[in-house]
Amino acid sequence: MLIWRVNLRTGSLQREAIPEPWSRLGGRGLLARIMLDETPPACEPLGPNNRLIFSPGLLVGHMLSSCDRISVGGKSPLTGGIKEANAGGTTGLQMACLGIRALILEDQVAAAGETRNDWRVLHLSLEGARLEPCADLAGLGVADSAARLLRRYGDHVAVALIGPAGEMRLSAAGIQNLDKDRMPSRIAARGGLGAVMGAKGLKAIVFDAKGAAKPPIADPEAFKAAQKVFSRNLADHPQTALYRDYGTAAMALTCNAMGALPTRAFSSGSFEGAESLSGEHMREVIQERGGEGTPSHACMPGCAIRCSNNYAGADGKSLVTPLEYETIGLMGSNLGIADLDVVARMNWEVNDLGLDSIDLGAALGVAARAGLMAFGDGARAMELLGEIRKGTPLGRILGHGAAVAGRVLGVLQVPVVKGQAMSAYEPRAVKGTGVTYATSPQGADHTAGNTVRAKVDHLDPKIQAALSRNAQISMAGYDTLGACIFAGFGFAVAPEVVPGLLNARYGWQVGGDILQLLGKETLTLEREFNKRAGFTAADDRMPEWMTREQLPPLNSVFDVSETDLDGVFDW
Amino acid sequence: MVVKVCLHTSLQRRTPAGLVRHLEQELPAGATLADLVSALGLPAELKGVLTVVNGRMAEPSQALAEADDVHLIPTLSGG
Repeated sequence: MLIWRVNLRTGSLQREAIPEPWSRLGGRGLLARIMLDETPPACEPLGPNNRLIFSPGLLVGHMLSSCDRISVGGKSPLTGGIKEANAGGTTGLQMACLGIRALILEDQVAAAGETRNDWRVLHLSLEGARLEPCADLAGLGVADSAARLLRRYGDHVAVALIGPAGEMRLSAAGIQNLDKDRMPSRIAARGGLGAVMGAKGLKAIVFDAKGAAKPPIADPEAFKAAQKVFSRNLADHPQTALYRDYGTAAMALTCNAMGALPTRAFSSGSFEGAESLSGEHMREVIQERGGEGTPSHACMPGCAIRCSNNYAGADGKSLVTPLEYETIGLMGSNLGIADLDVVARMNWEVNDLGLDSIDLGAALGVAARAGLMAFGDGARAMELLGEIRKGTPLGRILGHGAAVAGRVLGVLQVPVVKGQAMSAYEPRAVKGTGVTYATSPQGADHTAGNTVRAKVDHLDPKIQAALSRNAQISMAGYDTLGACIFAGFGFAVAPEVVPGLLNARYGWQVGGDILQLLGKETLTLEREFNKRAGFTAADDRMPEWMTREQLPPLNSVFDVSETDLDGVFDW
Repeated sequence: MVVKVCLHTSLQRRTPAGLVRHLEQELPAGATLADLVSALGLPAELKGVLTVVNGRMAEPSQALAEADDVHLIPTLSGG
């Protein structure tokens, strides 16, 4: 394995050996290590001193089910702190096959004006690396850009690319990746890393692993044995069938039942239209309509869970792939919209712009509070997204996410922590996830440690910090392995599989606590970066209005104590 | 008494009219959540199922009341 280091200003393209301190990390953990070692924490996120880093997790490259994720990181223009956003698709797999443990993008050519015409694409293959101009892609949406890149470089490559939002350096811009069917739909969405890529003048990265072998395995027999146990546990687990049949959208009725479904700009936890947004309903609609729709789809080659989907319209033609719960929560119930077709069209639009649907949904909720749209008015919501494509001042305000929208539009009830919008779990009803929102070095993000599945009283403030702590440690560990959040329930059946796979892959001798060790190390590094960037305990707080305004129907507030919040990382 | 029941995902009932996930169940006064599970013909030990009554997680021994809103939810890890 090696490091590729690319300087966008000088055009220098260098292969490097992996330094010893980085050699036992991958994915999110390695991003944190590199950021702390190389990036000035106080740097301007969109300036020359920030780095944009791609790193597949430690287990990526073997088509181990649900374990081929790519982590992307840098300093976030949205939160001002460290950022890791990960995605499925094929980028991680092809990087690992090329032997790349990390791709570090440095420096930038400053844009001469508002609109630049010097966009470039970085191409990486076994033959080396090269930067090529791609001015013809300027301003193009993600779908058209990806199609052109596949024609240019062959349809076997993996591509990570930005859309118009990244080009405009909007703080909610993400980086799209191709799924296994070459749809640019797997977005490293959160925290504005698409804006960092745009600031570096890079429109796309092409990974061409043609001719490459899978990464070497120190003990193939032991790896195969551990893989067999993991695959069987995953296949036998009841959650696998649930995700295959209903997708993440099954969470809509669950959260609604718990009073935790964000509704009308986080003013309620229960939505009267939840039924028509549910995974159960979505499955029926997809099956009835037929055509290009499918309720079950794998985003990564070899995934046994297949929680993704392709949602088709009444004519059987695809409206978007995939349609996921977080988007349904933030762009559906959060906007008072009960029609999955409307949510799907909005989802396609933000995908094509290269935006995070969570932060955009939250921003539109803020816009609705400010009177720019009526709740339930999907046509107006689409018009507002159109403002982003046109690059109007209003569009740019929304494209910078909910925090900026709230400030500009004079709305105080904004669901963000560290400037990043909350996912579709109301923290006043699922308070453990609320603790994660408040304290994660990443800003509000359910994938940093969701506690919704715990069989506990989610309203009891006293038990939530411990729940969140354990979830955050595990997730930081899984993100370092390159494992999907849902691989976790497969690993949980036989935790010895994680050290078994790592020892077989690398010839290590790690013990049963490796997942927790990786998780704690990652969180410690991230918190140190944020501390040096100026973060304090005051940044690990829920928005004040959520501690004061009761959430119907349970009429709860976020009341986990500050002492508990400050103790989350005391292990 | 009558309680409202929502059967999520794999617990939905297959009927000639299609899948049913919302139903009403009549129970004797003083019945518990465990009694409801039994009346629905489901296994007494609902492994991997979250039971939510009126928005809050509930134990099998919890007594039910008229018009309670009960959800039986096969566990998922989130979205």
